[in-house]
Amino acid sequence: MNPLMRFRDVSFGYGGDDIIQSISFDLHEKSCTALIGPNGVGKTTLLRLAAGILQCNTGSVFLNEHPLHDLALKTVARTVAFVPQQLDIPFQFTVRQVVEQGRTPYLGLLRGPVREDRMAVDRALELTDLTRLQHRVFNEMSGGERQRVKIALGLAQQPKLLLLDEPTQNLDIGRQVELLDLLHLLKAEGITIFASIHDLQLIEGNFSTVLLLSPNASLMSGSPEEILQPTILEKAFNCPPRRHPLLLERALLHNERAR
Amino acid sequence: MTASPLASTPATTEQRGQEVHPRDDHSPRGRVGFVGLVGLLGAALFVVVVLSLATGAVRISPATIFAALFRHHPLSVTQQIIVLQIRLPRVLASAVVGAALAISGLMFQGLFRNPMADPYVIGSSGGAVLGASIGIFFFSQLSIFGFSATALLAFIGSVATMAVVYSLSRSNGRTHVITLLLAGFAVSTMLGYSSYFFELFDSSGGTGNRILISWLHGVISTPSWTQLSVTTVLLLSAVVIALPLMRQLNTLALGDEYAHQLGLRVEYTRVGIILTGSLLTAVAVSLGGLISFAGLIVPHISRLLLGPDHVRLLPVTALAGAIFLVLADTLARSVFAPTEIPVGILMAFLGGPFFLYLLRKTKRSYAL
Repeated sequence: MNPLMRFRDVSFGYGGDDIIQSISFDLHEKSCTALIGPNGVGKTTLLRLAAGILQCNTGSVFLNEHPLHDLALKTVARTVAFVPQQLDIPFQFTVRQVVEQGRTPYLGLLRGPVREDRMAVDRALELTDLTRLQHRVFNEMSGGERQRVKIALGLAQQPKLLLLDEPTQNLDIGRQVELLDLLHLLKAEGITIFASIHDLQLIEGNFSTVLLLSPNASLMSGSPEEILQPTILEKAFNCPPRRHPLLLERALLHNERAR
Repeated sequence: MTASPLASTPATTEQRGQEVHPRDDHSPRGRVGFVGLVGLLGAALFVVVVLSLATGAVRISPATIFAALFRHHPLSVTQQIIVLQIRLPRVLASAVVGAALAISGLMFQGLFRNPMADPYVIGSSGGAVLGASIGIFFFSQLSIFGFSATALLAFIGSVATMAVVYSLSRSNGRTHVITLLLAGFAVSTMLGYSSYFFELFDSSGGTGNRILISWLHGVISTPSWTQLSVTTVLLLSAVVIALPLMRQLNTLALGDEYAHQLGLRVEYTRVGIILTGSLLTAVAVSLGGLISFAGLIVPHISRLLLGPDHVRLLPVTALAGAIFLVLADTLARSVFAPTEIPVGILMAFLGGPFFLYLLRKTKRSYAL
């Protein structure tokens, strides 16, 4: 089976030096991939390249074997949805009005929303458990609720690939679990997930593949067990050995397994 | 992948109870039915126009006008002249000005994602006045469709100002709201005063000056029927052009980058909004000069009634703007009768405090 998205020797920089240097990886259909790496290494940039918001300087991104830059943005937006970290909306738009904007790639200048569009919005609200909150004002909602609205907005695009930028950031542990439940639900719906994650302890059991992006080193890819090893993480995150509780715990676990 | 323990215990809605507010099941916005509101405003506009026709130095009761309209009780010749030739064009002109200002305010607020934008604040009407003054002082002989070159130059002035203000407030693909407001303020002040230069070159023996001053104060003149029909046609075509742009404004609320990612051609939308908004500003300026606050208050109140969906706001804002300015102009010409105060000045005195009151009341919604 061909991968849904392929990065081939992709390099990108905002004018100056390349942040992303010659990166290659595949995203297989219905996989659930976590993107990890230290701050400022280019995780958001990588996601924006995958969404077609940015165009790589060299190399290519392929969506279903088509170069991304050859496809119209509307076509890309019907397959790939990007859920950003921040979404600031002026005025008192309701949840439903916000989610309806996800139908934009299906609408034309004179083609307004039809029944199919309303059904897609209903489905997105249902999956994110927002049906009862759909008339609430987006700006008056809590962080956890807003995160769900952002995901619903992406789901209204009916994407095959959902890109999430730090979806668990600023969420309390209860809302984090809720969010992971939602990701499992979406995976069951057949949606491929690619998310950047800071909370490394949330990866195991929830993601099938981990991509580790580290400065001045090549991209590492593997199962959570392969990548989430203290030595690898300490090096990639430039973290002094055995100082972070997570790494300490992992080291103990590793030793136990070895015995 | 191993089955997750998390997957087996999906959180039920009951568990999320703490986040649920008691007023979840009904909409906090847009409780007023859309069709009902449009109908109501249409009727209100009609009533306000009739009342305004009845108001003036010569008293003609609204009942007389209604009787003439519906019960074939014709007006006397004098009354006909007063109502049809003197008052009606002016009342219709104020309706056109009000609708044009309100719609362009709505469009600019949507484009800049900011409730503070209106043609007066961001310099669009200042540019229109500058263009118009050039027309008055240098091309006063030229005329197209009963219009002096003034109207065309007002449009060009408005578009050019908007382009300058907009490009000044953008960097790295983002619009900086503070820069925008400051740039708009600077440009509109500059343009406002620059028109005084034209007084120096005035060769028309004071006529140009008089027109200019009445424009700067915001006086709605009694237009010729040709002028009125051209502006009405322009207003209606702007509404038709605006309609598909309104849904795009909703998408633009997510931010330029997000809208772009959803496949919206943000640049086209922006140019469309700026051109249409400037056309509307030029329509308003050519009939009534600089009138503040109408473009700010009317979209604001409409949004309070109906929520922020621009598609629905368009007709409501247009009607509300027309009603608002017909009322304001009627007041302006009747409060100190037989002397008139310019409606622009009345708006500054009445509209200002009213807007401050609204701002105070709804300050919660202005998290920029």
